[in-house]
Amino acid sequence: MKRKHHRWKWTVYALIPTVIIILPLYFIAIAGFQSVAEIFHKPPHLFPPNPTLAYYRDAFVTLSLYLKNSVIIALGVLCVTLLVALPSAFALAKFHFTLKRPASLILAFTQVLPATAVIIPLFLIFNRIGLINNYLGVIFGISVFTIPFATIVLNAYIQAIPTGLMEAALIDGAGFLRIFLSIILPLASPAIATASILTLILAWGDFIFALSFLKERTLQPMSIGLYNFIGQYGVQWNKLLAGSMIFAVFPLVVALLAGKAIVAGLTAGAFKE
Amino acid sequence: MKGTKVAYFFLLPALLYVLLFGLYPLLYNVSLSLRDVTFITYIQGTARFVGLGNYRELFANPIFQRTFSNTLLFTGLSILFQFTIGFLLALLFNRSFPLKGVLQSLIMVPWVLPIIVSGSFFRWFFSDNGMLNGFLLAFRLIERPIPWITSGHLPIFSVTMANIWLGIPFNFVLLYTGLQGIPEELLESAEIDGATGWQKVLFIITPLLRPVILATLTLGCIFTVKVFDLVWIITQGGPGDVSHLFSTLSYSLAFNKLHFGKASAVLIVMVLVVALLTALLNLFQREV
Repeated sequence: MKRKHHRWKWTVYALIPTVIIILPLYFIAIAGFQSVAEIFHKPPHLFPPNPTLAYYRDAFVTLSLYLKNSVIIALGVLCVTLLVALPSAFALAKFHFTLKRPASLILAFTQVLPATAVIIPLFLIFNRIGLINNYLGVIFGISVFTIPFATIVLNAYIQAIPTGLMEAALIDGAGFLRIFLSIILPLASPAIATASILTLILAWGDFIFALSFLKERTLQPMSIGLYNFIGQYGVQWNKLLAGSMIFAVFPLVVALLAGKAIVAGLTAGAFKE
Repeated sequence: MKGTKVAYFFLLPALLYVLLFGLYPLLYNVSLSLRDVTFITYIQGTARFVGLGNYRELFANPIFQRTFSNTLLFTGLSILFQFTIGFLLALLFNRSFPLKGVLQSLIMVPWVLPIIVSGSFFRWFFSDNGMLNGFLLAFRLIERPIPWITSGHLPIFSVTMANIWLGIPFNFVLLYTGLQGIPEELLESAEIDGATGWQKVLFIITPLLRPVILATLTLGCIFTVKVFDLVWIITQGGPGDVSHLFSTLSYSLAFNKLHFGKASAVLIVMVLVVALLTALLNLFQREV
């Protein structure tokens, strides 16, 4: 009993910095329940004095089109990423070939490239081939970074799948494509889930590609919808923050449900800061 | 397994993809940076070759000089604080206690929040009549609002503070995972020999963790020098270009002023700075 008591002491110690770190999220969440006058009250309210759902409802109605675009873009990125990253992870994990090391290096290097370093040339190129103001342009842009990341995360896992299984299937006359589809993919499903979760979070949060490639309002995702809001003269901060909170629900739920997967993937891929 | 041709077949899509959409654009910047490319000259195909002209103009420009020192300041301060806080948190979490999993997930919040969400929050938080001034005024710590992001020298420090918050989870996770690899018996035997908590950290944990620490710092440098979104959302590099980082200056040169050549030159400088910092850190690794 005494021992247990002792361990709760550490929970309290850990709780203090954790609360400080998530405090901004708390203030974002309660801002959406208050009027503009209330959120600028001095000192700031620690609890909404007259909570109302009106601003959340307003924000949702105004921003629902943007939300739809965010879903389309995130799912598009997920498809492109898995389609390209799964086979490459298989190749890097299970085969020996001359260009293996250079190929891995190129992927690792691309993963840490600044998005700003590819955005100007991509903009000029995409402008020529009609991918500006097109979902595909943004999807291809974001995938430049999610593909190497997903490959690295998947590769680490597929390596651990026993090669003997594949060799047995080869002897039984199965082709490599067959092995990939009916042995590797099912066995790698936990890693596919992790890679998918992280890819979705990254695509959902993208700002720079949508900002640069989607000028047409009807195509813009939520991140840009909210950003347009800030640009307006006399920002309605309560509505903006309510909208932000709605946008944040998806990654927050995922983080709480799949915190372990995020930590594992982040460590394997060490991607976004 | 053998089967070289098959391997290339599986690898090809990814390799082509990153070469075409990642490395080719990166190199294309070099060519842009050596020419006088604006939107008009690009469309007409009349951009002249100017050699290092864009670079010379940049280094003579006070806004670029300020951007250079801003980026170094931003990176240095961000890493110093993110790393220290992340390390202390990792040490704190390096034991089992009730609700540990939940708290760990909560620490990841700054990482999973879309950048527009945290950026909007900080823009509001630091605004003249925003939350920070609200608290400081209410407790009579200041007499009039401080212009955190609206004038003077403060904006770059304000965005740095926001970025420190943003980077804590990353440092925490990498260092925490590193700590898991240190055998517990080692720490227990040190304890028996009478080592205090801080002695264990200094003489056992830090030396054993050196590779992880260096990797964390290197990645931290790479990711911090290139920060764009956060600063773009909070200040857009302003007011009056005082809070630019390389990436935001480049972006505004390209997409506001449509001067792609100069914008690319800024990027090349940024990539070189990242490469230099990475090389320095790794040199340090070899020496110790």
